[in-house]
Amino acid sequence: MLEAIGNALKKGIDRIASAVFVDKTLVDSTVKELQRALIMADVNIALVKEISEKIKQEGEKYVKNVEKKEHIIKILNDEIIRIIGEEKKELELGKKDAILFVGLYGTGKTTSIAKIASWYKKRGKSVAILGLDVHRPAASEQLEQLGEKIQVPVFIDKTEKKPLKIYEKYKKELDKYNLVLIDSAGRDALEKSLIKEIKEIKEAVKPTHTIFVIAADIGQAAKQQAVILKEACGIDGVIITRMDSSAKAGGALTACNEVNAPVYFIGTGEKINDIEQFNPKAFVSRLLGMGDLETLIEKVKSATDEKTQEKLKKNLEEGKFTLADLAEQLESMQSVGPLGKIAEMIPGLGKAKIPDNALETQEKKLKGWKHAIKSMTKEEIENPELLEKQTSRISRIAKGSGTSTGDIKQLIKQYKMIKELASSAGAMDMENMHDPNKMMSNKQLMKLAKKFGKKKTIRF
Amino acid sequence: MFGFLKEKLKKFIESARHPKGKEEESAKAEVQEKNKEKLEYITEEAGEKADKKPRKKQKPEVKEIKIEKPVEEAIEEKLAEETKKQSEEKVGFFAKIKSRFSTTRFDQETFNELFEKLEALLLENNVSLEVVDKIRADMEKRLVNIEIEKSKIEQEIKNSLKETLLEILIEPFDITEKIKENGGTFVMLFFGINGSGKTTSIAKIASLLQENKISCVIAAGDTFRAASIEQLKKHGDKLGIKIIHQNYGSDPAAVAFDAIKYAEAHGIKAVLIDTAGRMHTKDNLMKEMEKIIRVAKPDIKIFVGESITGNDATEQARQFNSSFGVDAIILTKADVDEKGGTAISVGYITGKPILFLGTGQDYHSLEKFHPNEIIANLGLE
Repeated sequence: MLEAIGNALKKGIDRIASAVFVDKTLVDSTVKELQRALIMADVNIALVKEISEKIKQEGEKYVKNVEKKEHIIKILNDEIIRIIGEEKKELELGKKDAILFVGLYGTGKTTSIAKIASWYKKRGKSVAILGLDVHRPAASEQLEQLGEKIQVPVFIDKTEKKPLKIYEKYKKELDKYNLVLIDSAGRDALEKSLIKEIKEIKEAVKPTHTIFVIAADIGQAAKQQAVILKEACGIDGVIITRMDSSAKAGGALTACNEVNAPVYFIGTGEKINDIEQFNPKAFVSRLLGMGDLETLIEKVKSATDEKTQEKLKKNLEEGKFTLADLAEQLESMQSVGPLGKIAEMIPGLGKAKIPDNALETQEKKLKGWKHAIKSMTKEEIENPELLEKQTSRISRIAKGSGTSTGDIKQLIKQYKMIKELASSAGAMDMENMHDPNKMMSNKQLMKLAKKFGKKKTIRF
Repeated sequence: MFGFLKEKLKKFIESARHPKGKEEESAKAEVQEKNKEKLEYITEEAGEKADKKPRKKQKPEVKEIKIEKPVEEAIEEKLAEETKKQSEEKVGFFAKIKSRFSTTRFDQETFNELFEKLEALLLENNVSLEVVDKIRADMEKRLVNIEIEKSKIEQEIKNSLKETLLEILIEPFDITEKIKENGGTFVMLFFGINGSGKTTSIAKIASLLQENKISCVIAAGDTFRAASIEQLKKHGDKLGIKIIHQNYGSDPAAVAFDAIKYAEAHGIKAVLIDTAGRMHTKDNLMKEMEKIIRVAKPDIKIFVGESITGNDATEQARQFNSSFGVDAIILTKADVDEKGGTAISVGYITGKPILFLGTGQDYHSLEKFHPNEIIANLGLE
């Protein structure tokens, strides 16, 4: 996603930075390339023209050559930031909030609501969902099933055909919750009856926020939809879904800029945890291959609950790191997302350097380890050293878990490495997990880097 | 749909007349200063030729197309042009002037200038860049360096665009006829990315088949998304169509198999298989679809796309087409946007016909897609 813009930007910067003279042809050809990348990313055509004109004009200005380079690179950067947004904006929530979700058909409103409900539930809010989509068949059932999955109460009425009546019915009960997420029917901004309906809902419910859900692959229609919906019901935030596709989200992002609404979240997959807060700067950094630790840590936080973290911390403090802990770690790592996604966020591990199937085999290996640990006896789990002494155990476990003895040996190696690291680091301060700077001291980091470098046990 | 494009196109074609005026003026000047002008004209031509080569290098955006044509060939073509021009010189001075009055030659520069406007217009209307490039290459072949009678310049542009679009948009077949002709059970598989409107489209088609007295069952092959089975069941209840389903998380291929066996046993004409929305970027889901195809052996594989999708439409269509082979296309949400570019993009990438446009929420909001109608809508007839 957004890679095309990123690449064009990188290329453009490289080209200008390495050129001896910044002349008109160079600027023109760079602009042309950027133009194509932006168009491919569905950025609004009028905006593309505006940006390229601006860069061209600046390129023609007479400034000393060196400064000119920097100048143009800065403009390039600024214009890209202008499209994707500047600062990360967080949804400001008080003690009692109601968020109304609006958007076109099939953009992922209902799925996003479940994801957000789960997001805020994990962060300690009491969340409820109100289903006001009375048009699409089985919309209520969908909410019901999702609510069950994430353990969030869902208020629906399968027979009522008037959304306002459903709201009246549950009004009192909903008052008990910190956060009420309101699902509405998919609507087309050009369809007057649906616009009227959403206006009525908005007037009655008086939500504290109205969030527009838009798909990353929408084309030039994005702007019009956003503008009309904004007029009708006042959008004050956006969620972009389908960010896991090959779409570049330029249409959606420019639409957000058009209506002056910040992007709070992006949906990156079908599962409940596939949601990220949108951080434009981190985003740009990720697409330029510079990593995004902040998002990764957010993800780890939402994937593991506090209890397991506590337990792990305690075990580490006592120097009792067992294979069971490793298994748990593997489990939570998998719920963070596929390795490819994680690697994208780690600085220096940009996707370009790792062949795709290398990650896949690594992932398979991790899965194998999980099964292997399950095939061990309790004694073996607590004392993995046993395995090294009695190698017949290894072949038994390999047979039982459908892995090879080599896999098991690697697992033990990995375990020992982590254990050593854990004990030498003393009690790594798990509480400061969410602060990347405090997470590990420089010394520890160096140690870790040395270890990985020397042994090369992790072959990415 | 297409209303917007039509209006813009008119404006564009009108603007194409401008170079005509320019030519006339220069021709007048030519008569006044015959000898001098002739000299200038020749040097001008030569300068232009020299210009052309470096320009190609500078413009990376036309690279893809240009590469298709090997350099030698291009040079040969140029040589041929050159000799042609030399023979033209012999035609006679007065005859030449006359021809300059009534005909005009589209040179690369005029074409580039004109196409730039058309390009912006197509892009604004959601045609993907890749397909715009193809249209450019086609029109370039038809127009550049061809003598055109001035009075026909407008017609030529129209014709050229029309022919290009007709090549892209294939006349769809009649699905109900096809099912009627088919002897046994006709299996239709629907796929597309998440939220493109597969289930709704299936319900619409089931309703269409019913109206044409074709019996059908629907297989609830989306066993992943919450309440997808309930959604189909509700449609089934409304339409009175049997839905074959299993539990969530079960193998979609097995559901499809059950439905086909059921249809065969009960003499039902058509089986419509719904599948979970899948991103073309997810390998495992694409593999799942391969299995469904292996088991169900569909007679027709239908790609359901959104007409509001931008440049990604080409990528989606290409991936689904190269992985499974798309036989026909349904474009949904056509009522949302009057820009019709996605039809052109998807049609070009797959080379397959667009059967229907989804134009609303109820069962009858399913319009047959007619390329000719679209071309007429664009004012290209």
